[in-house]
Amino acid sequence: MNPLELTLGIMTAVGGFVDISELVFAAKAGSTFGYALIWVFAFSTVGIIVFSEMSGRVAAVAKQPVFNLMRHRLGLKLGLVTLAASMIANLITCAAEIGGVALVLNYLSGAPYLLMAVAMTAVFILSIWVLPFKWIERTYGLLGLFMIVFAAALVAIHPPWGKIAGGLIPQVPPGLSRKELLNFAYFAVAIISAVMFPYEVYFYSSGGIEEEWSLKDIMTNRVTAVLGMGLGSLLAIAILSNSAQQFGPANVDPAIPGTAALEAAIPFGKWGLILALLGMLFAIAGAAIETCMANAYSIAQFFGWAWGRHKKPWEAPRFTITWIVLLLLGLGIVLTGVDVMTLVEFAILFSILVLPLTYLPLLLLSGDRKYMGEQVNGPVTRILGWAYFAVITVAALAALPLYLLTSGGNG
Amino acid sequence: MARKLLPLLLFSIAGCSQGSGPEADLQYIKQARSIGAEWALINEQASRGSLTPTYVAAMHRWLRDNLQTTSASLTQPESRYGQEIQALVAQPDDAAPGQLRAHVEQLKQIEDSLESA
Amino acid sequence: MTPDGPIKLVSELLDLPLLDSNGRFCGIVDDVELDGEPGKSLKLKALLVGPGAYSGRLPGWSMRLVKWIAGDRITRIPMAEIRTIGSAAYLKQTAADLGLDKSESAARRWIPKRGAL
Repeated sequence: MNPLELTLGIMTAVGGFVDISELVFAAKAGSTFGYALIWVFAFSTVGIIVFSEMSGRVAAVAKQPVFNLMRHRLGLKLGLVTLAASMIANLITCAAEIGGVALVLNYLSGAPYLLMAVAMTAVFILSIWVLPFKWIERTYGLLGLFMIVFAAALVAIHPPWGKIAGGLIPQVPPGLSRKELLNFAYFAVAIISAVMFPYEVYFYSSGGIEEEWSLKDIMTNRVTAVLGMGLGSLLAIAILSNSAQQFGPANVDPAIPGTAALEAAIPFGKWGLILALLGMLFAIAGAAIETCMANAYSIAQFFGWAWGRHKKPWEAPRFTITWIVLLLLGLGIVLTGVDVMTLVEFAILFSILVLPLTYLPLLLLSGDRKYMGEQVNGPVTRILGWAYFAVITVAALAALPLYLLTSGGNG
Repeated sequence: MARKLLPLLLFSIAGCSQGSGPEADLQYIKQARSIGAEWALINEQASRGSLTPTYVAAMHRWLRDNLQTTSASLTQPESRYGQEIQALVAQPDDAAPGQLRAHVEQLKQIEDSLESA
Repeated sequence: MTPDGPIKLVSELLDLPLLDSNGRFCGIVDDVELDGEPGKSLKLKALLVGPGAYSGRLPGWSMRLVKWIAGDRITRIPMAEIRTIGSAAYLKQTAADLGLDKSESAARRWIPKRGAL
């Protein structure tokens, strides 16, 4: 393990953890239910660590990405259903991220929102075209580390650390009405979906192939997944805790993403605001690129095309055209004028519905000695993997009824 | 399997169609209350010099857009809460935080009484 | 596994990625062509690649959709062109030599060859 590479990998994962959905739901969860949903963030983070480690291991050992092996395992029919479902979920998520980036630029510069959406899509196309894979990942991931200002803001406001720690214990707040209970359940499902978005696993696994991971990188994969995502989730928990401390008592349920930046402005003033907005900008921008590329990876791998940014764009032309078209489709959705918060809600909903289809093939592949040899899932990973699969299946079944019954978490 | 799932789905959808009146408007009252509170918080922080003018202007625009959408969604705009929301909409962008919070407090009381009913 | 060795299940072959002699991905095994009679052993004749090869594996209505989106071409890879079969099917020649490069070549005409690091 090269220590510098490992450190950069971990920091990239930290800076890239939070996207528009986590930002929005962390802030709303904190203002609505105080610290009571921290445990759901922690629980979901363990889940994404388990599945990310699995997908990275599959990439390193089988030297094939998840979607190639998934089609072979599930067959054409179920494979096509999975592909179609994940394409829709990833596309809506990408649109939400593009809209989120445009919003943040509007807050920073005052420039028109739709114009910023067009401009940033052009920047994304340029970034993916010009930069090799590692630079794409590192640039946005490391710049996303501005998000650390949210953790610093939490320390600065001297929160009740005992209550925050208490939030790690699985709980349902006592005395909730039936409506509030349903709302709590909806938030729990939404947080699971936001943290365990399908695109994260596709991108992570394909990224492992892009970086030519092999058996010697198994430990790097493990450490990056655990530390990178573990530390990244602390940022999401900081946003939630700031919201519980600052927004809840002020009767604020953040209606727009920009409100979250107040968490850093209140203790640190203008510089806190600017750092928070910059962190949001790069974290969400990184997520826009990841969702687009995850979708392009899935399509190219499913149909056996040449793929990857370790190749020049003209060496994988169908893959190149695919990610450009996907970015433009995402932009097209934003240009219809649909509200970013609505896109976030639909991204959450579609993603949780797709999650079981995403994780089942991965679980089967990583547990199959024919593909994995000695690197097959150990007993702990196997138990955790199947336990989380059961949880996300229940969450997927509950998601749509909860969304309808709570009007998308608005009570 | 489909025979069991379909009634459940329809029941779920029926459960969320709440017609008109204060019950149906509760989600909009909550949204307006929250928007008013965010607005007050922004103006308070702006008066302390903690925010950039660009951010404040952008947030005012988005909050006002959301508030007007919320107001237009009410099934009973002439109700007490409808008038309270209209009064909020009528406030200037740089309204005093205390003024905004007075409306927020009124909406919170209405919200709490509807939720406990 | 070699092309003329015993293959336990056709499912081992279906949906395997194809890699050409340069190690480049050039498709997926969409179907297989078998030769034989009832009661006698089946011999694998060729691998079939392309959307047209889905027709035996998808319902009719979805094939109309596939044909509308992607066409119905099939490229036939005789078993003699296959070097070995493992977690992928490895071919003896390049994708271009086997006619597996047509879509990629068509797409390549649209991509300028400059600007990438």
